Amino acid sequence: MILSGWEAVFFWFFSIAAIFAGLLTVMARNTIHSALFLISSLVSIAALFILLQAEFIAGVQILVYVGGVMVLFLFVIMLVNVGEEERGREEIFNRKRQVTTSVIFCALLAAGLLYAVNVGYEGLKLDKGRQQAAVEAREGRERRLATSETGTSKITKDAEQVGSSLYRYASLPFEIASLLLLVAIIGSVMLARTIKQEAAVDDVAPDVLPKEAAHDPEVEEAHNVIV
Amino acid sequence: MQFLMLKPFSAVFALFLQEATTGRMNMAWDKAQHPDLSKFLVIGALLFIIGVAGVLTRRNIIVIFMSIELILNAANLNFIAMSRYLQETGSVNAVAGQIFAVFVIVVAAAEAAIGLGIVIALYRNKETIWVDEIDILKW
Repeated sequence: MILSGWEAVFFWFFSIAAIFAGLLTVMARNTIHSALFLISSLVSIAALFILLQAEFIAGVQILVYVGGVMVLFLFVIMLVNVGEEERGREEIFNRKRQVTTSVIFCALLAAGLLYAVNVGYEGLKLDKGRQQAAVEAREGRERRLATSETGTSKITKDAEQVGSSLYRYASLPFEIASLLLLVAIIGSVMLARTIKQEAAVDDVAPDVLPKEAAHDPEVEEAHNVIV
Repeated sequence: MQFLMLKPFSAVFALFLQEATTGRMNMAWDKAQHPDLSKFLVIGALLFIIGVAGVLTRRNIIVIFMSIELILNAANLNFIAMSRYLQETGSVNAVAGQIFAVFVIVVAAAEAAIGLGIVIALYRNKETIWVDEIDILKW
């Protein structure tokens, strides 16, 4: 994986964009701006995935993160009140001592990680003959791929490979993941219910509820309907 | 690079100097032998650290969630870069990294759904999203 020519330009552009957007996510005062910067960071990371020839993961990243998770985030930001923060009346960071400690910790972490990459980097050297063989094998595979409709690129088999190994070698984790998503759906619905909805569905006796909810005509009506 | 006594961080310097200096300085740098995996790993490490800093310093619980997403994405970037590197070495298990990334995305989606449900329930009961004001478990 040697980046050459436009690949290197692409890499530098999107990696710098990802890091700056990530920094601005953490530092923006307005929470909506934070979410939008996070979206641009995620899109830049998806572009890096494309550079790494993982087109399927890049598509999933855009669909799931930008299309699903971040829309959820934006809705929740609109549901809760963050106006005080925006108008500068609330401090956005923790107290000074905590921030200093965590910045020191992050600097140590950065030094440690960069040192680890640096040490491991020596071990990444590829044997020249083996690498040449792999590159030739890949080029041979690519020559046999079908040309796309527009004629500008080849249709890779990346998604096909990921799909077949997902169902062959990782079928049990795949099923567990689907169960996890089901539990997450049910859990988030349970968590986000209001006390009225809980009273209506769970058939709670009115005297157990807090006063204002118990005397709410809607709750009593819902209760009577269910009883 | 070595006469400057910068050996422990030579890869990091090389990362930022490589394009500019290849050919001019006679560095012991054989481009064909060094894959660019380490660049992706450094980018992943930086994103991870930005995410950790966000979790530790911010007061807004929603921004803390966003920082966690950033951390998970840094891990994903490492997985995909490793997968690509293994493909280059001709390993048959190279696609495992991409499968891991799929599962990380699944877990991130589940975590966001549950976490934001908790945020809404918390806001309904406590009227606050500042994590330093949510201290009822404190002794």
